[in-house]
Amino acid sequence: MATKSSKQMTAVSKLLDQLIKDGKVEAFAAAEKPLKPVWDKLVCARCALCYLYCPDAAISRQDDGYFDADRDLCKSCGICHRECWFGAISMQEVE
Amino acid sequence: MDTYTLFAGQFLPFNERYLPGGHNACAGSGTALALRHVYKALEDKNADLAQARWDETPAGMFAGREAAGAPVLIIPKAGENRLYICLDAEAAEKKISPEQLIKKSPAKAAASGCLYCATASPSHPFDLIEKVRRGWSAAGAAYIHILCPCPTAWGFEMENTVRIARMAVESRIFPLYEIAEGHYNITVEGVRPRTVADYAGRQARFASWKKAQIAALQEQTDKLYAQLQASAAREMN
Ligand code: SF4
Ligand code: SF4
Repeated sequence: MATKSSKQMTAVSKLLDQLIKDGKVEAFAAAEKPLKPVWDKLVCARCALCYLYCPDAAISRQDDGYFDADRDLCKSCGICHRECWFGAISMQEVE
Repeated sequence: MDTYTLFAGQFLPFNERYLPGGHNACAGSGTALALRHVYKALEDKNADLAQARWDETPAGMFAGREAAGAPVLIIPKAGENRLYICLDAEAAEKKISPEQLIKKSPAKAAASGCLYCATASPSHPFDLIEKVRRGWSAAGAAYIHILCPCPTAWGFEMENTVRIARMAVESRIFPLYEIAEGHYNITVEGVRPRTVADYAGRQARFASWKKAQIAALQEQTDKLYAQLQASAAREMN
């Protein structure tokens, strides 16, 4: 997984170098009160779209077939909330 | 089995080989999302992703000017063949230009000997996954060009990453097609295309563009899409 260091690298390839390095993941500098996704099981149709669209792989399927996010991996981007066709996800302040 | 297990998403592998401990990309990064889909596609393919390496896409013979400097993931296949996956965040130039927006790489890669070439977008994950798998099983080199919207550089809200990617497809500025052994095939064809102005209007990077520039881009997009349709139609007869 080495990258060429001789050539001037674009910001993106630098980012990717960091992204897949086996080192530590830096703590994400989030807003003071980050909003996290909260699922409404009564509305969710278990279509798995939110799971598919999370760039941080924070969402996983629970044993009951519904979905939930790992709040440490989640970066509060809101894509899951935006992409759910059924409006089952709301972004909320959680402890 | 109840009704909902029939949703297509339920058929995908649910184990996560993709950096399970998180990564350092920004929130809402299109690049990270595309990469995750690539990993998903190759999950059960015995692909040695540890042997994959990053490089910059070379301009010239292999890739068009718009992909020069974009990171490319090179995955070794059987024999000397490679699967090239270009993650194009349109960041090569400071100011966005039509050269950056119109993708010539797939056609170039096909001309320089890649047996399977395709464009893909993380907004259409099933299409993307299918293409990566086809590229993987092609008998020779393969090239996949993926559009990766970047909320910071393009100037839109981070929750809209997937939307913007979808709009790029719907406005036909980034049509989804494949070139399998020289045969063109449009894989996602919108019924009602969006206008380029609609796509551009949602991103701060187009703020300095004049109306005439957008109109010219629209014209160019329509022309290229008609060409693409013609190449695809020729194959059918
Ligand atoms: S996208 Fe919405 S309906 Fe589909 S599984 Fe996720 S929360 Fe449920
Ligand atoms: S807010 Fe973003 S990072 Fe968090 S679970 Fe939803 S898609 Fe994933």
